[in-house]
Amino acid sequence: MDIFLTSRIASDVLGGVTNGVIYGLVALSLVLVWRSTGILNFAQGAMPMMATYVGMIAFGHFFGYWICVVIAILVGFLIGAGTERVLVRPLYGKPEINPVVVMVGFLTVLEAVAAAIWSSTPRSLTTPFSPIDFHLGGKPFALSAFSLYQIVTAIVVMVAVAVLFRFTNLGLQLRASALAPEVSRLLGVRVNRMLTLGWTLSTGVGTITAILVSSNFFTGLTPQVMDGIFAFGFIAAAVGGLDSPVGSIVAGVVIGIILQFVGDYVNSNAIILVALFILIVSLMARPNGVFSVVKARRV
Amino acid sequence: MIRVQGLTVAYGAVKALVDVSFEARTSAITAVLGANGAGKTTLLRTISGLKTPVAGSITHDETELTAMKTEDIARMGIAHVPEGRGVIGEFTVEENLRLGALTAKLNAKQSLENQYERFPILGERRRQHADQLSGGERQILSMARALIANPSVLLLDEPSLGLAPLITAQIMATIKDLCASDDLTVILVEQNASSALRIADHAVVLNVGHVVANDVASVVAEDENLRQYYLGMVS
Amino acid sequence: MNRGLSSRRVITTVAAVAAVALSFIVTPSSRDGVALAVLATLTVIGGSVLLSSDLRRAHPVVTRAATSTMAVSVSLVATFFFSSTTNFNLATGAAMAVTLVGLSFLTGVSGQVSLGNGAFMGVGAFAMAIWSNHHSTTPIVVTLLISIVAGALVGLLLGLPATRLRGPYLAGMTLAFAVAFPAILTYFNSWTGGDGGLQLPNAATPPHWLRALYVHGTTSLTSGTLWLTDITLVATGVAFFFMANLFTSRVGRAMRLVRDNEVAAELVGVNLNRARVLAFVVSSSYAALGGALWTFLNNSVTPATYSFALSIVILSVIVIGGIGTIPGALIGGLVYAYSTNVINWITNQTGLNPQGNFASQLNGIIFGGLLIVTMMLAPRGVAGVYYTFRHRRASPGGDVKSPSEETYAEA
Repeated sequence: MDIFLTSRIASDVLGGVTNGVIYGLVALSLVLVWRSTGILNFAQGAMPMMATYVGMIAFGHFFGYWICVVIAILVGFLIGAGTERVLVRPLYGKPEINPVVVMVGFLTVLEAVAAAIWSSTPRSLTTPFSPIDFHLGGKPFALSAFSLYQIVTAIVVMVAVAVLFRFTNLGLQLRASALAPEVSRLLGVRVNRMLTLGWTLSTGVGTITAILVSSNFFTGLTPQVMDGIFAFGFIAAAVGGLDSPVGSIVAGVVIGIILQFVGDYVNSNAIILVALFILIVSLMARPNGVFSVVKARRV
Repeated sequence: MIRVQGLTVAYGAVKALVDVSFEARTSAITAVLGANGAGKTTLLRTISGLKTPVAGSITHDETELTAMKTEDIARMGIAHVPEGRGVIGEFTVEENLRLGALTAKLNAKQSLENQYERFPILGERRRQHADQLSGGERQILSMARALIANPSVLLLDEPSLGLAPLITAQIMATIKDLCASDDLTVILVEQNASSALRIADHAVVLNVGHVVANDVASVVAEDENLRQYYLGMVS
Repeated sequence: MNRGLSSRRVITTVAAVAAVALSFIVTPSSRDGVALAVLATLTVIGGSVLLSSDLRRAHPVVTRAATSTMAVSVSLVATFFFSSTTNFNLATGAAMAVTLVGLSFLTGVSGQVSLGNGAFMGVGAFAMAIWSNHHSTTPIVVTLLISIVAGALVGLLLGLPATRLRGPYLAGMTLAFAVAFPAILTYFNSWTGGDGGLQLPNAATPPHWLRALYVHGTTSLTSGTLWLTDITLVATGVAFFFMANLFTSRVGRAMRLVRDNEVAAELVGVNLNRARVLAFVVSSSYAALGGALWTFLNNSVTPATYSFALSIVILSVIVIGGIGTIPGALIGGLVYAYSTNVINWITNQTGLNPQGNFASQLNGIIFGGLLIVTMMLAPRGVAGVYYTFRHRRASPGGDVKSPSEETYAEA
């Protein structure tokens, strides 16, 4: 058992899961916004990045890690709600490219503003968890206190979102507003509020993701920290199905594992190439996502 | 009671309703009849706030509805069962009903049980997705979903559309019962004039946006002109 | 008709005055300012004369050829008077305009948008450099065509799955491609030269046919780097000529039909998937040509140029110029060429520390902000505002085309 756990394959699987839950979380936050408002939010990485800077760096002088995390998430909620109200609301019903362009513009502005205030130098966040791998029988195996923290947090967030949507009245209204806005309004559901809430939740999930990513000892926090992660998250969401929260999470984890093997056995520069390849092949085979149950929205 | 006065509604330059006035009394069924494109659906959509009128007023008891948001109108107890039934196919029967009960601040469990008692077929299918139901079952579900919040006004848009005559008759009977027992104001929009007139107390006939008749149902039902020209009923 | 003509005259005058004023602001030395002013005035007046005649309606292709030739020859003459800095800026902007007009075509006819055109420029730029390093004797025209084919192939690979889907799949996938592109270049570093990039082998030697062309008289064209600018301008003219025809061709019309009404398009027998993929391939080929021209102008290529940021800048300048229009691409190219000057000017005027964080991020803040503001207030950019203005002025008179029709029809 010990030998297996410290083997190269087991390390790759564990490392893959650790990265994969991050891709899954980004994909989940994209799906939340896509399902409620039909917009692929290209600033889904940058908005949480901003919240993380405000919460973890600006307030980092005054408070400890956990208080800063709470502040960052609250700031994330605010950014999400404010963005929906101010930037996104005028875009409903407009041609498809308008929200894409506006959110790309917002992404650019956020990254530039963050760099203007805090510079592009990576900031390391001091976490209460060690990034050094555990040892088993004298050999390291690819799991550290930090990666355990990352995996557990991701699972907690995913379960919380699932419970909210499946079992609460609020979740019922959120789903109804996304599926049938007019019918929902006729039943007294405040649909506009639900759309704002969808963005709020999504940015909250994103902020937790951004905190995990930038708490990583090896990455740190930079204005562009979420760019690459966003690309992987989008690939996971598209492969798993933009309509399918479960599918996109599963796709995120599976892609994380595959890419870990690619990075280990081939070359770290091949990772994104393989990810693109997975995206192309899966869109060819199952245009609406491998796990999507919704009827194909093909042309 | 719903009072509509001088209502004019337009889609761009096209007027869908012109100076429409009538009253729908409490504990009575008011049928709104007319051919396709007469403006019946527009009328209901304007009452429930989905469409803003150009002129005129709609009042429920003493409250003016035209400036209110759809959600608030619904929360006042005006239930609109839209054309094409509007059940959410991805939801189970029970989820559809729970959605209807949300705004009413009632004991959700109790009101669900009440509806299952009234419509046993829904109780049997409570865990099924709504898109697996038959047309008639979906119609029943959408009525139950509207009724679960104990509305004071029920707006029904073409409940008989696409249904077999037997099921239509059942649904009409249900509407009649509800109206008698629950102090309900019912506005029933129908293209199927004969079945609607059979249960209605009052009837309004629309033709390309204008009111051409507004009278007791039995009078409308016997008017040969109306029957022939506006209601498509051959004697 | 009279009213239409007189309003056109007013607009021509205003545009000419604006062009003259602008050219004095943007050019550093006064001699260039004069030359640019002459160029701008000639172009505006000449264009107006050509476009107002009945010729345009009777022989559209001839008119477009004449317009392109005139614009290119006026620019070529002008390059003799410009400083080498101005020439380089103009050529850089022209190559960018080629990229932009491709993106404009994609959005104009299919309603979709690509966030990866910076990476497609990179494909063309590296294709040009790699081919030249292995076959240094290939004529420049052939090398440019090879770069275009390389862009088309990569475009086809990405476009085939993504364009079949409604929604933002194409945008997302091209974004992933743009983010991935630097890593892809590193992965193939035996070909692409890694971080240092590649140099062209026959640096800045004009091809012999070009020298033969100028065997009598002036040698100034073939000396120095002027010929680089001029070949870029000619290539830009040719690219725009083809694009102007493509916009109004049967294929172009069919694709706009796809964008506006899918059912109608299917009824007239347009293959929707093929139309969308084609539009995307055209756009990536044009981007590749733009990138190849950049490599040609600089005699070298570095991977850092083709980062994700470039794709965002491309989107910004075409949206500012007017996405979906041809003139928008020209305006966007000009904006790109002089954006650095303008931003430096703003930095100086506002007294910001040029080495400071804020000054170094001004670029992103301004471009990102303009993207949002333009999309919210004037989704068709500068070109769109111009058309709306003109349409309003001209509409009481006789024959007026729908604004969208006009937007595409004019080169």
